Amino acid sequence: MANATGDSQPGIDRKLLEILVCPVTKGTLVYDKERGELISEKARLAYPIRDGIPIMLPEEARNLDEESSPA
Amino acid sequence: MSVKSRIDEKSVREAYARWAPVYDFSFGPIADAGRKHAVRAINRRSGSVLEVGVGTGLSLPRYGKHLKVTGIDLSTDMLKKARTRVKEKNLANVEAIVEMDASELAFADGQFDTVVAMYVMTVVPEPEKVMRELERVCAPGGQVFIVNHFAQDHGVRGRIERWMAPAARALGWHPDFKVETITGITKLDLQETQPLNPMGLFTMLRFQKPAGEEAADRQSEGKAPRSAPKISGEVEAGAPATF
Repeated sequence: MANATGDSQPGIDRKLLEILVCPVTKGTLVYDKERGELISEKARLAYPIRDGIPIMLPEEARNLDEESSPA
Repeated sequence: MSVKSRIDEKSVREAYARWAPVYDFSFGPIADAGRKHAVRAINRRSGSVLEVGVGTGLSLPRYGKHLKVTGIDLSTDMLKKARTRVKEKNLANVEAIVEMDASELAFADGQFDTVVAMYVMTVVPEPEKVMRELERVCAPGGQVFIVNHFAQDHGVRGRIERWMAPAARALGWHPDFKVETITGITKLDLQETQPLNPMGLFTMLRFQKPAGEEAADRQSEGKAPRSAPKISGEVEAGAPATF
């Protein structure tokens, strides 16, 4: 019974990924599996996925240009 | 200023964080009749459903198995409860729970056959923006359901509303929110206006998005509202009805 809210794997359902866009630009998102983030290149934002719930809020997103930690 | 006494997003989130533990037992039963009614209507439809403001997921167990349901909310605390509910009840028809702002949805255009927002419009700072987002993510030919309390300040209902006012304020309602705030801004066709029990305190609006036309493209070009009737806080006189 795999649904996107299952927590067995911290990831994101492929079907969900297909319909999600950046809330700011409405542009496509790329899933960064390692960091568990959804990247909007256009908005330069990385939206986190916490406990299996994508947080599609700009104010919760990491700014890709303010990256001080090693890549 | 489109709505009197704007409620900022942060205070809504804080109110909900505070209310999440007791929400199902307080506001829940009062509003539940409306919720049930809307879900029953939605269950006669097919395809995908987006519930905007899914909260703790009270409605989720009621959706038909034939539907594919996605729920969004702004409140992390409530979504956690919703997710637990999905797991405990094994709700295989719930495809996703996502944290989003209803006025800035992170879905591509036209993705859902049915979009429903129950008790959402009065707690968001910009209901007109939310309505445009609901329209946008609704598929051509799809339907948008709104269940809400709309102001009516006379008769028995007026008295009940005054009685409920303290609770309403705690939940961030606009007690003076009128139905025209919704109907005056949408280009969707209003199909049904149904007063719901108890005592017509809540109303269900059902809208249809025209099929197979480029309704979406003007909206997706930008946030600029189409040449829509302007919404002001004052809708008392002069009927802003647009259809």
